Amino acid sequence: MSTITKTVLRSDEFSCPSCVSKIEAKLADLPGVVSAQVHFTTGRIEVEHVADETTVDDLVSAVDQVGYLAVPQAF
Amino acid sequence: MSKLFRSLSRNRWRTVAVSAQLIVLGGISGWMWPGNRSYPLFLVAASVVAGADIARRALADLRMRRIGIEALVSVAATGAILLGEVWEAAAVTFLFQAGATLEQVTLRRTRRALTHLVDMAPTTAIVVREGSHVEVPAAQVTSGETVLVKPGARIPVDGQVVEGRAWTDESSITGESTPVAKEPADVVYAGTVTTGGLLRVEATATGSDTTLARIIARVEEAQEAKAPAQRFIEKFGRWYTPAVAGAALIAFAVSRDAHLALTLLVIGCPGALVISIPVSIVAGIGRAAQAGILIKGGEHLETTARIDTVAFDKTGTLTTGEFQVADVVPVIDQVSADRVLALAAAVETLSEHPLAGPVVDAAQSRGSAQLEAEGFAQHAGRGVSAQVAGTSVAVGSERLMSELGVEVSPDVARILDRLTGEGKTALLVAAENRVIGVVAMADTLRDDAATGVSRLHRAGVTRLWILTGDSERVASRVATASGISEVKAGLLPEDKLAAVQELQATGLVAMVGDGVNDAPALAAADVGVAFGPGATAVAAETADVAILSGRVEAIADAIEYARATTRNLRQNVVVSIATVGLLLTGVLAGEVHMAGGMLIHQLSVLVVIVNAARLLRLGRRKTKSRTETIMEGSVPRPRDLVV
Repeated sequence: MSTITKTVLRSDEFSCPSCVSKIEAKLADLPGVVSAQVHFTTGRIEVEHVADETTVDDLVSAVDQVGYLAVPQAF
Repeated sequence: MSKLFRSLSRNRWRTVAVSAQLIVLGGISGWMWPGNRSYPLFLVAASVVAGADIARRALADLRMRRIGIEALVSVAATGAILLGEVWEAAAVTFLFQAGATLEQVTLRRTRRALTHLVDMAPTTAIVVREGSHVEVPAAQVTSGETVLVKPGARIPVDGQVVEGRAWTDESSITGESTPVAKEPADVVYAGTVTTGGLLRVEATATGSDTTLARIIARVEEAQEAKAPAQRFIEKFGRWYTPAVAGAALIAFAVSRDAHLALTLLVIGCPGALVISIPVSIVAGIGRAAQAGILIKGGEHLETTARIDTVAFDKTGTLTTGEFQVADVVPVIDQVSADRVLALAAAVETLSEHPLAGPVVDAAQSRGSAQLEAEGFAQHAGRGVSAQVAGTSVAVGSERLMSELGVEVSPDVARILDRLTGEGKTALLVAAENRVIGVVAMADTLRDDAATGVSRLHRAGVTRLWILTGDSERVASRVATASGISEVKAGLLPEDKLAAVQELQATGLVAMVGDGVNDAPALAAADVGVAFGPGATAVAAETADVAILSGRVEAIADAIEYARATTRNLRQNVVVSIATVGLLLTGVLAGEVHMAGGMLIHQLSVLVVIVNAARLLRLGRRKTKSRTETIMEGSVPRPRDLVV
């Protein structure tokens, strides 16, 4: 049994809404990611994932690969 | 290779600065030694420095089978170099990078209002566990645990004070910076800052359940909710880039003009247009949130801006909803008002009835003698009685008096009639089976009810109504005191709903209320406003706008912020559509070339963002001067006006 965790990352580097679908696609490709939603206006990234397969650090580095610095947040 | 790209692109400012220097060097060498090979070399180097990051992002896109603006710019720059137009390549990559970096910085400013709230979130808490103090992450405290809050520290949880006294600055929650006194049994909020004392707080909500976290979530939801116009523009944006890329291909196929095709690629990002609406909304909603006003999304922002009718549910909005002693009328010559109050308070101290507290508070604040009572008895729904220093005292309704065999004289009955006629709740006070006086209580008008109403008038609200379940007399007194002319009294919740619908026939209505029984009217109104720190969860849930501070003026602020934001948003849409039109015609007419196109494009994006950031300064000076006057203590606290 693996449980699904919800992680919130924040980034203040988004400068064009085109990055939204890029980051969403990148995150969705990771194993164990159930859903990924990126909000351009607030810079919030919501990810539902199985923490055993993809850790929070994995999420941060995936966002970094697309070119944005994101930081995990408590809420 | 990708390592080199990364190191070059990590620091965007440095990239921009280096490429600028290379362009200048290239310019100088081209001017000093015309025809020298160093000129193109410098400019190609500048293009590579600025373009590395663009190319990296373009490749990341391509790997995901997407063509983004970075890909278009990379193709354009490479094409320009191949055509020998090194100057264009260097200028395009430099301008793109410089613009993107500036945009990032300025966009961060428009999101700043919220960042400020997020920064308020507490990080650690000192918990008392098994007698010792342990420091843990704030979110890991469980409800029911006791946390220690030192003076000057940020309260880590929502909770109730169990020990200690202090002041808190609740501006992160309510937008009001006036310190609030806290003592045992008072409620405190996570993210507020204490001064003046050590508090022990029993946690009732932690982490993402705290009021602050819920406010942040609400504000973000609001900022993310898309206004109707925004959806249209996003759709447009999605088609625009591929359409322009296609146009570039067609232009090249038809005219064989590579330069024209590349220029079209450069202007292929609808940048200013797609961000024009979101940046204004983020800044506007963020600014309002700082003032303790939650506007739940762009759609509500647009409606709020057009409000011309405001209906108030009186209790808890124009008034505080808290009873206070308004009159103490002695009816026997030998007994003073002070004595009446002191005796009543002595008995009421032992009672838990909602009207008991105000009597005790009044006796304390007027410095009446504190007397001890014993043999306390409660007469359900009628009043209370006890022995005070050997005297038997009863406090309660006319019915209690007749039950105890106390005579209510015609004079006393007249006083009772007058007070109840004024909408007050009156208690008879009897000593040794004789009525000695009457204590009357009433709701309190808020300090800023009248200024708030006149500001609403000035903000263009033409019709103001009071819709209340209270009696006509009470309602019209509040109406006169606050400057409202229209009153509908004696309404049941469903009557309020009908009244709102009636007003909607001729205008756009905002309904302001605080309680559960307003929920239907709040939901029916064009804009439902949940008002005050006491606004119930239901009211706040149903509402489109929530005002957390309890200031009537905040309603006018909300309308002004909404107007300013919609105005700002329209300016942005106009600027960005004009830019797109200008660029397309300019390019097709052959007047605008690659570097110029990029410059105009990036400038328009910056104009739009900087314009939105202006919203964050709305009302700044006003707020500051109010805080200053409070600090200086030059404004005496107005005596509570009892209605």
